Amino acid sequence: MVDVCIIGSGAGAAPIAYELSLAGFEVVVLEKGKNYTEADFNKDELAVSRRDIFTPKLEDEFHIINEYQKDGTYKRYDGREYHWSFWNGNMVGGSSNLMSGYFHRLKPNDFKLLSTYGAIEGANVVDWPISYEDLEPYYTKVEKIIGVSGRVVNHSQQEPRSSVDFPYLELTINGAVKWFDAACEQLGFESIPTPRAILSQNALSRNGCYYSNFCGSYGCASGAKGSARAALLQKCKARIITDAFVYKLESDDKRVRKAYYKTRLGAVHVIRAKIFVLAAQAIESSRLLLNSTNKFFPNGLANSSKEVGKNLIFSAGGSGSGRFVFEKLTQAQQKELMEVGVFFNRSLQQWYDYKDGKRKQKGGTIDFLFEHQNIISRVMREVYDNHGNLMWGEALAKKVQKRLTTSRVLTFEVFNDWLPTDKCFVSVDKKAKDKYGVPVGVINLYGHPHDLEVGEYLAQKAVKVLREMGAVEIDYDISASPPPNLVAGGCRFGNDAKSSVLDKNCKAHDLENLYVTDASFMPTGGSVPYTWTIYANSFRVADAIKKVLDVKQ
Amino acid sequence: MFGVTTPIETLRVLHQDLFPKAQALGIETASYMTVVFNHPKISKADKDFIKNGIKWLNEEAIIGYKKEYKKLSSKEREAILQIISKTEWGESFLYDVMGYMFEAMLGDPVYGGNNKQAGWEWLKFTGGLPRPKEPYLG
Repeated sequence: MVDVCIIGSGAGAAPIAYELSLAGFEVVVLEKGKNYTEADFNKDELAVSRRDIFTPKLEDEFHIINEYQKDGTYKRYDGREYHWSFWNGNMVGGSSNLMSGYFHRLKPNDFKLLSTYGAIEGANVVDWPISYEDLEPYYTKVEKIIGVSGRVVNHSQQEPRSSVDFPYLELTINGAVKWFDAACEQLGFESIPTPRAILSQNALSRNGCYYSNFCGSYGCASGAKGSARAALLQKCKARIITDAFVYKLESDDKRVRKAYYKTRLGAVHVIRAKIFVLAAQAIESSRLLLNSTNKFFPNGLANSSKEVGKNLIFSAGGSGSGRFVFEKLTQAQQKELMEVGVFFNRSLQQWYDYKDGKRKQKGGTIDFLFEHQNIISRVMREVYDNHGNLMWGEALAKKVQKRLTTSRVLTFEVFNDWLPTDKCFVSVDKKAKDKYGVPVGVINLYGHPHDLEVGEYLAQKAVKVLREMGAVEIDYDISASPPPNLVAGGCRFGNDAKSSVLDKNCKAHDLENLYVTDASFMPTGGSVPYTWTIYANSFRVADAIKKVLDVKQ
Repeated sequence: MFGVTTPIETLRVLHQDLFPKAQALGIETASYMTVVFNHPKISKADKDFIKNGIKWLNEEAIIGYKKEYKKLSSKEREAILQIISKTEWGESFLYDVMGYMFEAMLGDPVYGGNNKQAGWEWLKFTGGLPRPKEPYLG
């Protein structure tokens, strides 16, 4: 029997593996995907972005998606037929290998959304059982161990920090960033350098960023990106078992006893452990619990509250863009604009909360970044003319060449709260099974209308900046489409065992030795990408588990 | 009816019509479709749609000019493209064909297209490093 068995190997899993194995405990990590190293990663657009090398074939593994309709019914989509994938990085380190590493902390008010902003009809907004002050030391720990680069500037929404600045200098930025800063100054907006989980210099036994121009969606070939694999798993002695799909947890009424996993060839294996930690990504963690029924837990493991799978959330908001064309720029500016590799790295958080009439409203974050460099995608965005007709031949060639060589697109991403509701949750399908013969997860989707209002408010601010900068073709899309890489909830933590799955240390209320440490625990998501908070919380839970194991020994 | 013309041969002519710049740059794109048709990460439905689209394209050519697409004059082929691009299937088919064609033209040269990075150079694009040592074939 090992001390700790961790299911999954991403940002929620790796801090536990790292901390507990360094503390001398025997830790096993079960990961469905492969284990890669920096030497395996390259910038092959066909493999990474068009053939989805890091995610399963949808014909083998898929989800059923039920989309809520205005008439109160759900429309069913089979992920296989509709090419609708909710997989991210199925590999050691999970999707943290492929993240862009836009790292923002939650703000103190994110931990007390209900008491700060009040209830919203149709939404299950609650306060967290912990405060920002509880998590702050762990945010700081992540900065040092995972490696966060940036520069702290004073702004109206700056959260309290226990250290003055980031431990690593900010990454090199593109010359056009000064246009952004000037536009913000003109508008009275607060431009913030975006913190990134990317090392700007060699440190932590990893190489610094080499500005490959292909960061988000791609594995990092230098180790600069603070993936759970590069920053943690490659540096600890936790035993990693790959090709291990965990399909069932077996328990009695008090403790999980065994984790069963299958290899891709169908061989069944069992792991026994003192403590089990589930961190397989929010949707899959709920799915595993719901599929692990027994006589003690007929509704699924740790589900006496019937809350497992409930209050699934994503990041609400959307994205937009504006184009900078050579005709409106000096030669020097054209050169600055086309400088590739270096980052844009600017954010706005001035409206993280704002007044809407008399009501104090929760807002969010806007990150600015250049359009992804994937050239095939960029060309394919040009194949329609202004009237929506498909183009080809010489006309298309001229358009493509002009657009790609004499202009560049700056994009923005809006992050605001996806309000938790009764209509957005994970369940398992009664009929559809994956290649392992296991019932697939069902994603029941619903976006609260309030999310769109906030997203729209923020997008309008971003548009003002782009306009002030002189961009053309400014456009944006705020929608209730869920970003598959920004998913949380399903096993919310709380003090009341009747209305939450986990206690404040992310241990299941129902079981003595089961923890869930991916983003499942989050009752509300905040208005930033989740990864930094997942890492920080997992380090916090690692300390709690360490205390339990220390007592046992 | 089309015994002498393989799908790849039809695609070769279609690629030339859709984006002659590729061949002007010395990039041969049609052969890459063999990779597409054999790739396990491309669904059977997507592959069948391309294959059926080639049949429907030729049927449209026969209806209009009593000859398969490859044997039409360039003016006649352009007329056929204009007709099918206004249909739902035709627009989707041409869009998908272009997607794979640009994969060949602008993907890493390790896949056999983008001869000497000519596609990238034409668009002043620097591919990311490191480049793949071998193609990902699923």
